[in-house]
Amino acid sequence: MSERLRGRAAAHDLPAGAAILAAAAGFAAVLWGWSQGGGVLELPWAPTLDLNLRFELDGLGALYTLLATGVGLAVFVYAGRYLPGHLAHQRRPPSHAPRFYGLLVLFMVSMAGLATAQDLVLLFVFWDLTAVASYFLIAYDRHEVASRWAALMALLVTGVSAVLLLIGTLVLYAEYGTFSVPELFQRAQAGGMLTLAGGLIAVAALAKSAQVPLHFWLPRAMTAPTPVSAYLHSAAMVAAGVLLLGRLYPLIEPSEALLDGLLVVGAASIAVGGVTALTRDDMKQLLAYSTFSQYGYVVFLYGLGGAKAAAAAAFYVVAHALAKSALFLTAGAVTEATGGAKKLSELGGLARELPLLAAASAAAAATIAALPLTVGFFADELFFAAALERGPGAAAIAVAAAGLTLAYLGRFWAAIFLGARRKAGRVPIAMLAPVAALAACVVVGGVWAEPLSSLAAAAGESTVRAPASASVAYHLDARAENVMAAAAWAIGLALLALPGSWRALARSAAELGSRAGPERLYGGGLRRLNELSDRVHDLEVRDLRTRVAALLVPAGALALLGLLATPTAGSYRVEGVELGDMGLVLMLVLACVAAAAATLPRRHLSLALVLATLGFALAGVYAFFGAPDVALVAVVVETLLALLVLGVLALVPAQVLRREANIQVRGSRRWRDPLVALLSGAFASVLAWSALSRPAPERSVAAAHVELASDAHAKDVVTAILADFRGLDTLGEVTVVAVGMAGVVALLRRGRLW
Amino acid sequence: MSVLVQSVARILLAPILMVAFAVLVKGYADVGDGFAAGAIASLAILLQYVAFGPERTERMLPIRLLPAAAFAGLLLALGIAVAPLAGGDPLLTHPPGAGGEVVQLGSLELIGAVGFDVAIFVLVLGATLGIIHAIARQAEDEDEDEDPR
Repeated sequence: MSERLRGRAAAHDLPAGAAILAAAAGFAAVLWGWSQGGGVLELPWAPTLDLNLRFELDGLGALYTLLATGVGLAVFVYAGRYLPGHLAHQRRPPSHAPRFYGLLVLFMVSMAGLATAQDLVLLFVFWDLTAVASYFLIAYDRHEVASRWAALMALLVTGVSAVLLLIGTLVLYAEYGTFSVPELFQRAQAGGMLTLAGGLIAVAALAKSAQVPLHFWLPRAMTAPTPVSAYLHSAAMVAAGVLLLGRLYPLIEPSEALLDGLLVVGAASIAVGGVTALTRDDMKQLLAYSTFSQYGYVVFLYGLGGAKAAAAAAFYVVAHALAKSALFLTAGAVTEATGGAKKLSELGGLARELPLLAAASAAAAATIAALPLTVGFFADELFFAAALERGPGAAAIAVAAAGLTLAYLGRFWAAIFLGARRKAGRVPIAMLAPVAALAACVVVGGVWAEPLSSLAAAAGESTVRAPASASVAYHLDARAENVMAAAAWAIGLALLALPGSWRALARSAAELGSRAGPERLYGGGLRRLNELSDRVHDLEVRDLRTRVAALLVPAGALALLGLLATPTAGSYRVEGVELGDMGLVLMLVLACVAAAAATLPRRHLSLALVLATLGFALAGVYAFFGAPDVALVAVVVETLLALLVLGVLALVPAQVLRREANIQVRGSRRWRDPLVALLSGAFASVLAWSALSRPAPERSVAAAHVELASDAHAKDVVTAILADFRGLDTLGEVTVVAVGMAGVVALLRRGRLW
Repeated sequence: MSVLVQSVARILLAPILMVAFAVLVKGYADVGDGFAAGAIASLAILLQYVAFGPERTERMLPIRLLPAAAFAGLLLALGIAVAPLAGGDPLLTHPPGAGGEVVQLGSLELIGAVGFDVAIFVLVLGATLGIIHAIARQAEDEDEDEDPR
């Protein structure tokens, strides 16, 4: 028993402890750094390519790193208790645990990098790192098809759109000549190019934040373990999208069309997510739809434009992330306590059994539903104020959105905790404490919002590059924001009280979304791509000779074009042969004879031997041509290759070899293959003749190498070139050798190295 | 396989490996380099495979770790390549620099590039032997498949 416990401790508690420590240390470091006024860290990366590792802890960076490390801390504590049960439930060994924490920490670090990076290429790198980490985290239950499918979908949707971010980056570089974000803001001027780049970047950001119509990956990703959902799909992965919008806002803001696009996408996401959330029965599904609906608020705010909206967006992200991760963790804890219930229809009446969890999750739900005494009230106050500035239309959308949110979250909480009392198991303290801590944050924020509002104001400042404020307070009067909040509550409560009036409508809307939604397009597109790839693959590998012809004929045609385009004066010279060259000539003749003889044998063994002869003849040519190094390698490699081919032939049953050797060439093949061979051979000969006829340039690279060899303390120039002058090429080539070996061995030995 | 081939293979093993070693360490002064040396050494072992069959060869010679050595060689080569970065030099700067003093060991010249060549030697030897082993074992597995005992 103690042995097993110790095993568990080694597999679970050590990596979990390390992850928790990393998150806590990161949080403390960022907090300290921000209290010292932030700062810039700049290191050269690849100066010749204009790339710098430039990080800056500004308001936006501090806000998102604090979020990633703070929520990360809570989620890691929770995961330390959740994961052993999860693995035991799936009968997986504890050795699968360290990878989970490793990936979570990798995600946290890349999120922190993304939040503070001030270089577009660096942003892209961290952007993709989050996608890769999320792929492995969503597919953590890799034996389940649904998990793998969901992970691939998340990777494809966010990864393909990430390419748009890269294209946008390159467009900006081509136009303004810098990857540095602050410099770019100074140089950027409104115009077609900026709109194009801003649009591409915005699409990448919206896909990451799961905004309509690229939202469908998020509900699917709910197959991930609960801590992953709580972290990636509330506070980190989806937040990265709006973080990018906030970071590169000055590139998007100049274009009215882009801002209007953000408004439309945000409003559509709020509506689609909110209405679908009303109909979901699975807890995590409901929360997923709620999540992208809530990020729709943030996108909407960015679409409104202005310093106020930018600060409100930052404020909103924090309020939502804290509360939403608490709700995800609540869902996991409820499932744990009830022994596997995941659907709202299977739950109810848990308030008395789990009073602390009920209270904590009530605070979290109230935050997102913007009830007073939670930080969510202030978030909506800012949201309403920004919408009001825009006009009555935006204000109406804002009120409707808040009402919808209150309705589905009320339904969520009531379905779990209210109703006839029901028995439930205990929720371990390590799973309860993170929920309670997050809930405490949102409640404290609802009374004392000063730290958060000053941070959000700083984040807004770094977004719009102008002073911004997010000051909030309770006002007991009939100002417009209060009226709007009251109207939203009224709408929400009405929806809650009269479920019969909207249920059928919402269901059919959700049904329409799942049937005719963009997910269908994704599935169909993927299938079509697969078919295309199958066809190309079929075309390519079904017949070796066709494949070789497909390489040789275009290559020959290109060579011919090159020859036709080059002036011919002085080319194709014929000079006499001296007696000293006889060895070379003999070897060349031998090579020609061997090449011609290779067309004759029918048996594989004879063919292999003839080809080996050709190889040795060429090695002889090198030797007589004054390249002993090449000759040595050619002889040795030719021997190895011949022996290996013989070994492989020994593997094939004799009757198969006999049958293959007697296959008749039929139809057009009879003249096509020889023609292709003759033509490509002729092109190669003419090319070589032409190249060799040219006088060597006065000062060639080779001459420089010979001169430099003594500086490299080498007497053999070829070795000096391989290991020193062109060492990087050698490094790449030997890497190919190692990878090639791994491939061959994996194929032959089914993955074993020995 | 005939006794003659077996005894020739056994007699030739040490000399071929010696040649490979010479080609490796003398690479900078004479014809040859790490790649050729690795290929020659794997030829020596391939000869044993041909003469004695995989099982006896693998029992006779300590070559079990060689496929893993391919990756060790790759790591070593990468390490030697990036090590100069720590000192602020460009990638693959081999000590001693131009005009520097070369450490002599007998007639051997110990320069940084030889280390890189050694890494390539290990990598090539490991990679070819990994492939040879995989093919040889494949033949044995198939024999077993055909002969249900």
